[in-house]
Amino acid sequence: MNFELSKEQSLLQAMARDFAEKRLEPIARQIDEENQIPAEILAEMGELELFGIPIGEEYGGAAGGYDGYVLVMEQIARISGGVAMTLAAHTLGLGALDKFGTEEQKQKYLPDACKGKTIASFAFTEPGTGSDPKQLTSTAVKEGDYYILNGTKRFISNANHPGPCVIFARESESQEVTAFIVDKWCEGYSISEPWAKIGMKGGVLTDVYMENIKVPAQNLLGQIGQGFPILLYGIALGKIGTSTAALGGTLAALEEALKYVKEKTHRGAPIAKFQAIQLKIADLKIKYETSRWLCYRLGWLANNIKDPAAFAAEAALAKAYCGDTVVEAAKIAMDAHGSYGLMKDYNIERILRDALIGPEIEGVSDMQKMIVAGSLLKR
Amino acid sequence: MNIVVAMKQIPDLQQIRIRQRQPVLDGVPAALGMIDKNALEAAVLLKEKEGGQVIVLSAGNEEVEETVKEALAAGADQAFLVIDDSIENADGSVKAPILAEAVKRIEDVGLLLFGEGSGDNYSGQLGSRVAELLGWPQVGFASKIEIQGSQAIITRSLEDGDEILEVNLPAVVTVLGDINEPRIPSVTQILKAGRKPKEVLELEELELDLPALPQIKTLSNLAPETNRKQIKVGSVEELIQALKSEGVI
Repeated sequence: MNFELSKEQSLLQAMARDFAEKRLEPIARQIDEENQIPAEILAEMGELELFGIPIGEEYGGAAGGYDGYVLVMEQIARISGGVAMTLAAHTLGLGALDKFGTEEQKQKYLPDACKGKTIASFAFTEPGTGSDPKQLTSTAVKEGDYYILNGTKRFISNANHPGPCVIFARESESQEVTAFIVDKWCEGYSISEPWAKIGMKGGVLTDVYMENIKVPAQNLLGQIGQGFPILLYGIALGKIGTSTAALGGTLAALEEALKYVKEKTHRGAPIAKFQAIQLKIADLKIKYETSRWLCYRLGWLANNIKDPAAFAAEAALAKAYCGDTVVEAAKIAMDAHGSYGLMKDYNIERILRDALIGPEIEGVSDMQKMIVAGSLLKR
Repeated sequence: MNIVVAMKQIPDLQQIRIRQRQPVLDGVPAALGMIDKNALEAAVLLKEKEGGQVIVLSAGNEEVEETVKEALAAGADQAFLVIDDSIENADGSVKAPILAEAVKRIEDVGLLLFGEGSGDNYSGQLGSRVAELLGWPQVGFASKIEIQGSQAIITRSLEDGDEILEVNLPAVVTVLGDINEPRIPSVTQILKAGRKPKEVLELEELELDLPALPQIKTLSNLAPETNRKQIKVGSVEELIQALKSEGVI
């Protein structure tokens, strides 16, 4: 058992930290306030190959594995939850394309997406479905060599960027849930105004409207009726991103609390001298380390998935823990700040808002726990 | 023409803690010196314009084989390493002949770059010492380097102005930390760093007659003491007065 990072992994982590501190930190508040990531930042992330870390070189990726991806995601999320959310949703879409796409589909979509020239999306949720595929109402009707897609998708990340979107719809002949690759911004594709969500701003969520979108039959992802396994696999991969985004938030909470309690004085002494504060710091460190090793291990597991159901349970476990933990950590760090922490002058205000996204996005924590319990009780 | 960049393996300065004024080095990973990275970036920029290869040269203990990956990720094409445990704590009088001999074994070197001083001891001697041993001209405090045929045009930033020099190649140049901002390497540059060519020599393979170790002994290495003055002021005027009397403004 070896818990040490290799030199390459350490350099990757240092690179992401350097990028996040130099390029993202000066504008993290601006991204939060404007709910938008400047185009030059996305371009630079593309040049640094951050958009295709786990994808193979034959498709334009960096072949850095999901273990490399978690190291980068943690450092990005430490500085900007919004940028982390954008990267996580993109990598989820790419992971599904990489796993289920034909050679032709992968050659068509992955190289540009890995360079950040396009940003991927993954669209399952609908206004009435939550996470239940049986409730899916979007339709795909075969017409010659095309499918005609209609329906509405809710809370879709990156739908405002051009690129491939994996969209789930009910295929009309089989009535089975089926996945399609849709070029965003094609005819019949439109989006709502961005949802004004509480945190992780810059990671833009919109609804997607499909009005007679004409999708070539060769853009069917996997087989007709294979939508559910693609969905499960994709969502499990997505939890690497959401778990690690939460991890980065927990690290940020720890660091902000540490910085503040050393600076803030009470009757001439830093508040770090008080045991009540020291206990908070210890709790933050424990929460960070437990989240960290779950995420690193999940990245390692994702590199070689043998049993998708077993991996899905591991991903659910990490997501449940890290998602809940980031909220607890941010609240502890906020408490260490006292009323100052409520002010936008202090980063913890944004970190706490970002943290609240963790347990809710891509399946609430209770749902993750049901997956974990199911994996044990079905044995 | 190839450019050699001499880089020193030092403890990662960002991870050193100070306890009772002493640096705690246990468990601190090795890294390359900050100004050395500026020298490397200067070399890579020149290569992108003029062609040739950038070769990173480093001498140290066996850990340097791993540490040098940072330079290979940041744009060096290959590494030339001299390995021996004794090098790690050697001073300039020992390291200079090692580096000079190594440079002689690298083909077509037009420029040998150093950071102005190392990130740990900052003695700033090696560039001059190696230039002397090689018989090459040396220019220090470089803030800009251009190649023009068989010469380099170098701007030296000095306290009271800039000096522009023309120097025949091959030459040794030591660069300032603000000559550039080292680029952030991409993911594949990092992941492929370990696959770049590396020539690794044991110290005895250089067949040098080195001075006995150590020439310079460090007697103490203490962090400066910083005491807060804890001057309390009751108004902006008093604050300004206090800052003036302390010589801050």
